[in-house]
Amino acid sequence: MVFLSRIADVIEALAQRHRMLPWLIAYALLLPLPFILSAFFNDYLIDLANRACLFIMLAVGLNIVKGFCGQVTVGHIGLYAIGAVTSAVLSLEPGGFGGALGFGLPVWVSIPIAVLVTAFAGLIVGLPSVRLEGAYLALATLGLGESVRIFIAVTPALGSSTGLMMIPAPSIGGYVFDSFTSYYYLVMTAAVVGIYFSFAILRSATGRAFQAIREDTIAASVNGINVVKYKLLAFVLSAMYAGLAGALFAHMPPGYLHHNNFTVIEMVTLLLMVVLGGIGNVWGGVIGAIVVTIAYDQTKDLMVYFMDRPIVIQPLVFGLSMVLLVLFMPRGIGGWFEGLQRNRRFIKRSEEKLGGAARNS
Amino acid sequence: MALLETRDLSKSFGGLQAIDKVSLKVEPNTIHGLIGPNGSGKSTFFNLLTGVYQPDEGSHISFDGVDITNSPAHTIAGLGLARTFQLLRLYGELSVLDNVMVGYHPHTKYGPLAPLFNGAEVRRQDKAVRDEMQELLEFIGLADHAEIPAAELSGGQRRLLALGRAIAMRPKMLLLDEPGAGLSPANVDSLMSTIMTLKDQYNLTIIVVEHILKVVMSTCDTISVLDHGQKISEGTPEHVKNDPAVVEAYLGREMADEDIRAAMDA
Repeated sequence: MVFLSRIADVIEALAQRHRMLPWLIAYALLLPLPFILSAFFNDYLIDLANRACLFIMLAVGLNIVKGFCGQVTVGHIGLYAIGAVTSAVLSLEPGGFGGALGFGLPVWVSIPIAVLVTAFAGLIVGLPSVRLEGAYLALATLGLGESVRIFIAVTPALGSSTGLMMIPAPSIGGYVFDSFTSYYYLVMTAAVVGIYFSFAILRSATGRAFQAIREDTIAASVNGINVVKYKLLAFVLSAMYAGLAGALFAHMPPGYLHHNNFTVIEMVTLLLMVVLGGIGNVWGGVIGAIVVTIAYDQTKDLMVYFMDRPIVIQPLVFGLSMVLLVLFMPRGIGGWFEGLQRNRRFIKRSEEKLGGAARNS
Repeated sequence: MALLETRDLSKSFGGLQAIDKVSLKVEPNTIHGLIGPNGSGKSTFFNLLTGVYQPDEGSHISFDGVDITNSPAHTIAGLGLARTFQLLRLYGELSVLDNVMVGYHPHTKYGPLAPLFNGAEVRRQDKAVRDEMQELLEFIGLADHAEIPAAELSGGQRRLLALGRAIAMRPKMLLLDEPGAGLSPANVDSLMSTIMTLKDQYNLTIIVVEHILKVVMSTCDTISVLDHGQKISEGTPEHVKNDPAVVEAYLGREMADEDIRAAMDA
């Protein structure tokens, strides 16, 4: 606890010197990670780190619509799928395997287009939010998200049951991002920039408008906030995060995409990240994404034997932790830490006011 | 010219006629009281003025020369019509400072996507707004609580914050829905004097719904009385006080004169 608060103090002190300093230092500290992982552990963990970065982008994006703006959406994985498949199909060579579509566009063109297409899809997922709230909105978005996956699963042009293969890797000049380590720098950079922008949104009139809508929609509209416009904007912004994460996922080595990557289980995992981290808390979402990605990976083969029959208990463990979290830690790691920091600041201020008398007494 | 004018303003919910052809004029720089028994339609009237409800066919509302009859709430707010709510509706999880900064929203000069493309400008403008809002908090006496979530304030502080959030909108007109509800008499007096100071400082026109008749009688220039959705009386406090229709609406036909007087003065 004290350790975490110390870190927060150091970050604050750095930010006092220059706003960008904590970001640059954090980025610099993340640069040697693949080499540390491969030297002390194995290369597989670099792949895991890459996937953690993708999920960070997803969680941070989901936080904008769910955390900041309070709209319960369960279709986010569908947007991730749209980003992935769009960029894959645009960049594949025409006439690929199994009747898959291909347009042969450079990866650096297909990714931005995928982000824009996903943004538009986000607008459509957001439309029900104009009329629906809470559980009803969750159902509507779940339907939309799942229908995307099923559409991919039954359309041979989009990979169908075999999936899309040989999706090209991005390259700059002659350098190809086709290894775990090189790809790490792409996704890590995207994740850091994504986190930065999410804070930029949160700490602006736009972010305040989102939060006002979350807290009280009627009060927000009477305060001059165009509720429909800002709700849809939140959906579009969060869809852009999902689109970028999806596109980067498509081109990640080994360049293979299957609709099984976009199931409801992935959606629940993503929700768990955001809830564990603390809904509405950006750093919480990041920590949640890292913790859950690792936990998910480590418990994948967790089995118990019942009458000599193996039972995979991972879904059970994840479901239970979700229930327990909502019951006992509804504001997640981030909310808990925020409360801690607020108390610390309050005590510090009181002590200053009393001129240290509080400590001496 | 009247700052706010309604003509034949009506609203029915199913079979219930909540507001029935109410015509009203509010002159600039006045305090206009709106009173009436429970369920007489006062809050509905505010909800119609601010666009929270859409009025029925044939209604007309104009504000500052603009027809706002069917305008959405955020457009009306942007024209300078602010309100408070009976149940406050603060942004509980947001800090006190952020609550008033949301109030300033209609005057934000950058677009919603500026944080992505022009962060420097956003930070520059937000700093100016923050300083200004800090001053406002200073004025209403909440500056020490600026960083605290609104939900953690006391009842009286919450009422002040609701007022501050409306003032942050830099409105031309302020609608106050039972500002004194739940406050002790002493706190009501201090709240009313704060409201009077704010009125002078920001050149406000005010409509106030209040149950504490003493407050209404002593501060309002004009009073309108609603009963069963209809305007049954209007005029100076003295006129309204002596209007038999008002007395009847509040106390029933059979009450003795002294009792009425006593109730009104209480």
